[in-house]
Amino acid sequence: MPPATSAPDAPVAEGDAEAPPVPTYRSLAAPVSNPVDKFALLPAFLKVRGLVKEHIDSFNYFITKGIKNIVRANNRIEARSDPGIYLEYKNIYIGEPSVQVDFRVETITPHFCRLTDRTYSAPVIVDVEYTVGKTHAKHRKPSFTIGYMPIMLRSYACVLNGKDEAELARYGECPLDPGGYFIVKGTEKVILIQEQLSKNRIIIDTDNKGRVTASVTSSTHEVKSKTVICMDKEKIYLHLNQFTKPIPIIVVMKAMGIETDQEVVQMVGRDPRYGDLLYLSIQECATERIYTQQQALQYMDDKVTYAGAGNIKDGRSKLILRDVFVAHVPVNNGNFQPKCIYTAVMLRRMLDAILNSDTFDDKDYVGNKRLELSGQLVSLLFEDLFKTMNTYAVDRMNKNSDMARSSPLDFSQLIMQQDVITSGLERAISTGNWDIKRFKMHRKGVSQVLSRLSYMASLGYMTRITPQFEKTRKTSGPRALQPSQWGMLCPCDTPEGEACGLTKNLALMTHVTTDQEEGPLRNLCFSLGVEDLSLLSGEEIHAPGSFLVMFNGLILGKHRQPQRFANNMRTFRRSGKIGEFVSVFVNEKQHCIHIASDGGRVCRPLIIADKGRSRVKEHHMKELRDGIRSFDDFLRDGLIEYLDVNEENNALIALYEHVDQDGVQRSSITHIEIEPMTILGVVAGLIPYPHHNQSPRNTYQCAMGKQAMGNIAYNQLFRADSLLYLLVYAQRPLLTTKTIELVGYDKLGAGQNATVAVMSYSGYDIEDAIVMNKSSLDRGFGRCIAMKKYTVTSEKYGDGISDRIAKPQRDRDGVLIKQNMRALDEDGFVAPGQIIRNHDIYVNKQTPKVTNRTPGTALTDRDYRDSPAVYKGVDGETTVVDRVMLCSDTNDKLTIKCIIRHTRRPEVGDKFSSRHGQKGVCGTIVQQEDFPFSEKGICPDLIMNPHGFPSRMTIGKMIELLGGKAGVSCGRFHYGSIFGEPSGNADKVEDISHTLVKHGFSYSGKDFLYSGILGHPLQAYVFMGPIYYQKLKHMVLDKMHARASGPRVLLTRQPTEGRSRDGGLRLGEMERDCLIAYGASMLIFERLLLSSDPYQVQVCRKCGLLGYYNYKLKTSFCSMCKNGENMAKMRMPYACKLLFQELQSMNVVPRLTLTEG
Amino acid sequence: MERSAAGASYQRFPRVRIRELKDEYAKFELKDTDASMANALRRVMIAEVPTVAIDLVEIESNSSVLNDEFLAHRLGLIPLTSSAAMSMRFSRDCDACDGDGSCEYCSVEFHLAARATDSGQTLEVTSTKDLRSTDPKVCPVDQQREYQQALGNVDAYEPDAAGDHRGILIVKLRRGQELRLRAIARKGIGKDHAKWSPAATVTFMYEPDIRINQELMETLTLEEKQSWVESSPTKVFDIDPVTQQVTIVDPEAYTYDDEVIKKAEAMGKPGLVEINAKEDSFVFTVETTGAITAYELIMNAITVLRQKLDAVRLQDDDGDLGELGAHLIGG
Repeated sequence: MPPATSAPDAPVAEGDAEAPPVPTYRSLAAPVSNPVDKFALLPAFLKVRGLVKEHIDSFNYFITKGIKNIVRANNRIEARSDPGIYLEYKNIYIGEPSVQVDFRVETITPHFCRLTDRTYSAPVIVDVEYTVGKTHAKHRKPSFTIGYMPIMLRSYACVLNGKDEAELARYGECPLDPGGYFIVKGTEKVILIQEQLSKNRIIIDTDNKGRVTASVTSSTHEVKSKTVICMDKEKIYLHLNQFTKPIPIIVVMKAMGIETDQEVVQMVGRDPRYGDLLYLSIQECATERIYTQQQALQYMDDKVTYAGAGNIKDGRSKLILRDVFVAHVPVNNGNFQPKCIYTAVMLRRMLDAILNSDTFDDKDYVGNKRLELSGQLVSLLFEDLFKTMNTYAVDRMNKNSDMARSSPLDFSQLIMQQDVITSGLERAISTGNWDIKRFKMHRKGVSQVLSRLSYMASLGYMTRITPQFEKTRKTSGPRALQPSQWGMLCPCDTPEGEACGLTKNLALMTHVTTDQEEGPLRNLCFSLGVEDLSLLSGEEIHAPGSFLVMFNGLILGKHRQPQRFANNMRTFRRSGKIGEFVSVFVNEKQHCIHIASDGGRVCRPLIIADKGRSRVKEHHMKELRDGIRSFDDFLRDGLIEYLDVNEENNALIALYEHVDQDGVQRSSITHIEIEPMTILGVVAGLIPYPHHNQSPRNTYQCAMGKQAMGNIAYNQLFRADSLLYLLVYAQRPLLTTKTIELVGYDKLGAGQNATVAVMSYSGYDIEDAIVMNKSSLDRGFGRCIAMKKYTVTSEKYGDGISDRIAKPQRDRDGVLIKQNMRALDEDGFVAPGQIIRNHDIYVNKQTPKVTNRTPGTALTDRDYRDSPAVYKGVDGETTVVDRVMLCSDTNDKLTIKCIIRHTRRPEVGDKFSSRHGQKGVCGTIVQQEDFPFSEKGICPDLIMNPHGFPSRMTIGKMIELLGGKAGVSCGRFHYGSIFGEPSGNADKVEDISHTLVKHGFSYSGKDFLYSGILGHPLQAYVFMGPIYYQKLKHMVLDKMHARASGPRVLLTRQPTEGRSRDGGLRLGEMERDCLIAYGASMLIFERLLLSSDPYQVQVCRKCGLLGYYNYKLKTSFCSMCKNGENMAKMRMPYACKLLFQELQSMNVVPRLTLTEG
Repeated sequence: MERSAAGASYQRFPRVRIRELKDEYAKFELKDTDASMANALRRVMIAEVPTVAIDLVEIESNSSVLNDEFLAHRLGLIPLTSSAAMSMRFSRDCDACDGDGSCEYCSVEFHLAARATDSGQTLEVTSTKDLRSTDPKVCPVDQQREYQQALGNVDAYEPDAAGDHRGILIVKLRRGQELRLRAIARKGIGKDHAKWSPAATVTFMYEPDIRINQELMETLTLEEKQSWVESSPTKVFDIDPVTQQVTIVDPEAYTYDDEVIKKAEAMGKPGLVEINAKEDSFVFTVETTGAITAYELIMNAITVLRQKLDAVRLQDDDGDLGELGAHLIGG
């Protein structure tokens, strides 16, 4: 149990000053009569925020503030020999996304970059001041480009920022696309949100040996270090990488100037129990005879791992204590007092944890986590590259001045020479490898290709959070659902398998903070009565009733009236005087107040309630509906505020204002949820009635919703993805949720509403298979388009020689010389609209035979050989050329992209799924006349076996069917938002049944059906109605594979492996075991020795080695014995023969001993 | 059938009573026969009554947003007037053109040419406006309807006679987009592809036989009667406002949902009503796509069914199935 999750009903704001007009007794007792419909806040929130605001915010912070801070910190470089030669960065900013073409700058749009495989990047421009020559003449150069930086779509630097729908359409962009990703070399890359433990916070935990530890990972701009204080055998030690051995903590305290034991104990706290626990540690220090700071430092010097330059250990430990030990606590002018107090607090927390195991911290608690976003990651990368560029420039300058001192170089010539920033950023984002030596950072897979399989898949990528630690650990702790995830992280959306529970997704309303300036906040704290730490004695710090004030992990001081202080801070926040994301958290257990303004905390907006009464009133909502008020106004007026996970512990949050919360005093409610449905994320939000399903089913659907085909974006037909699956007639679901409407799934659906009959039919529906109606398929159900991109590059070989595209060659009568050129147009490219079959040529390319021609001569037709691009498709399928696109790539080579389209209708084996984690393949396709029908004439589109229900317990699917049926009957889309019944965001089954009865259906959704085959009534009523079905990307056509004979691997002469290489089907070990057990010896013989790689060898009976057959003399010969007398023919697998030869090459002689057969 | 196996004749004389007959809708009773007969008729109506539908599309120019296959599929599903379909030949056994579908006996050619000119409005390419047939007998159904209306032959039963007849939307064109194509319509049956099925809805139900135990019913109060009557999701029963007796208003509205029986049991009066399905009486509902009239659909179905039965008889005679037999077995 983490201390942070203290009782939620901790006394808050009781009788404090800023509470609005004190409610009278009567007004408190009166029930809240008319609940305010607060739903409109949600769309308003998403309107100002977008779906991926955290990414965009973080990147915006970087390009507007972060980058300036980095440059300001490293703004001057100077030559070693002559400090007069210098360069100073005066300003830095990001330009407009553009490319430099032939010394001309052209602005670019994201879609242009996608199509032409370019990077969507903008110049990083600096204003510099530098000196030139020996005279040190000062020069100023404004607008100097030092590199290009990939730009996040829809950030401030992006051309799409703030554009409306029509303008976006003009840019070829889909208005529903959320942005928040990069385009690098034509591919869309997302920098995933990285989850890690908070920096600069004390975490009390037990290590794997069961010892109580207090650890701090310090991180400042300059240093990063980890400090661990650990209790071993009842004595407390400091573990630091810089010391070979653990150092007794009292020694450390002494080394920092706290020489008397009394002072140490006072700092930790005067409670005798602390003294008891410290006793052994103090004794150990005394037995070592360490009494003074000097002695302590000497003791520590001996234990330093790495002595500095010249192997001088003396004084090292003081430096280590200053720079490494809890590095984020500053030591100003050698004043170690803040560090001492910090250490004492660490000790105190540790001892607290020993005395009361409730106060241990939980590493999995979301409040102890920070999310690292793209802005921060790019910022790290940029900082490193910027420094690299500068050191490189300095090196060059030094070298130059050392050597000749002749040419007066200046820095402005040096800084941009290597393209360090451009290529460094581009490489990192395109490979996903964040290797930053400076910060000891080696991460792989930070950026990933944005999946465009469906709209949901790409949204899902934007909200994904990847963990930092390795996935192999079997521990369940970090994988388990944390109560603190409520409303912040989606409880459903996580992958199955190894990353289960580790990879998470943000909930709908979550916001991730960015850094905020600390100085003003710190000053505010002091003005609000925080007593400065430096003025306090050790005794005073832990005086009862006063709380320590921690600001971003640092101890600021203490406050005697903690609750009053917290309330004051909150009032300032609500009135907009300090940032809305500043968190104020009163920790009763630790007796501290945590003020946090650092980046990476997750938080979410909540309605503020005064004694259980919502501050948002009906007139506010009316103003919102009328468009007078925006979400930001709600924030500014102090009606709504953001709470982070820690501060949530000081709040008591009601789901609804008007509903009585059992056993909770209304007056103790401090906040009200905007909408309970925001507990789910984007992807889980499209499940109707998820709260009626078994929990894992929702998780399965979250994985499958990303594989469903449908419409991807409004610009889907103008995109050039390598593989695109589209549904021909995609529909919006009949049973929607509010989330669906908010994220635009109703506009870019990925499925169709199928009339489903839940019954058994034909036996081809076992194991979740579904039976489909052929007429439905004829009419377009499940029909999809697969578009595949084939790219051909016309190479350049220098010297003006390059590949060429030739006309299709014809003979004298104008007939094509090769049949497979029939799809080609006269320009040598395949013609759009042409049907293209297997083995057809789509680009008639020719390659020059020679790459070095004699100068002056042109290459003739004979100098080229054919190297056409041949289409490899499925035989018997009709595929059509959709588009042919020509562009020159970054190396100025001609790139030809052919997009080939294939329209497919569902076939047996294609995979379908409803929105409830119920997947199934098409088992058989049946004629409509054989399908059951009702007396109304309704005939289902597909039949699902009822056995899918009992064990899966997907009641939501049943309600979806009912709601869908009522929806089509009455002509209103029904809703099924999670927990939506009380607020009217989900239709109740009872109401649905009423609607059904009103329209002449049974209230239970069951219909009386007749058999289509025999015409007699079916024995039972059949549960039938529309369910939204998704067609998943797994299709038989892409997977089916069989081979009789075919290609073989060159080396072993065994059949190739894998479908793509037309490989054989392996009879593996286990299959072999079966045959052995069965006794089918001849079958094994055939499979293993004949069907794979049979080979005939000549074996010498005498020496047992392999010989060869001389075809000229028609004799076999042993090259070892130098004769052909004792040769025998033998058949063995080629791989066996190869093994013998390989052994021979390693000086191992394998000899065959033959017996006469 | 005249030759029954064991001598005993199972011959019955089915009767048909037409209740309602409109161009595209028919409701009739089929009596004195059994489910196999009724179902055979239903199945033939759905799957084996031939119509004409676009089967081959040659696209000359298509700069619309929909791709060629998409358009071809949409064109195929447009119902075409197919009164002549029975007398047409299947392309596969047409002697005049070797089955390549280009002769007047087995195919009809269509042309479509549309181009959105400079106006900012999107142009809707529809089956009425743009799809031109070379044979006046075979054209999109809504064209036919328009033509009939122009002649003044308004189908009085058609509820939306004055409604909108924009036809079936094929594609929308923006400025500068163009669609030009040639299409060939052929005869076919619904078994091969749903586009050839003339039936929108063909269904039947057993005629219910409802008997109210009026004596028992009288033991109920008016409220109880009311709640009992309302327990049926469809309006089968009503209460006579004068006599306050429960009457059967529309027995065919009954969907065999057993709700009233369950209600009666719940009220502690089992046997309040007795409902049985008449095993030899069927109420058919037929709706067509408009390709042929409901009357034609029924009559053609009977013709086709008879042909199929003839084939069975032929098979009995000489054991040789011929092509018809193969058609019959496998389809």
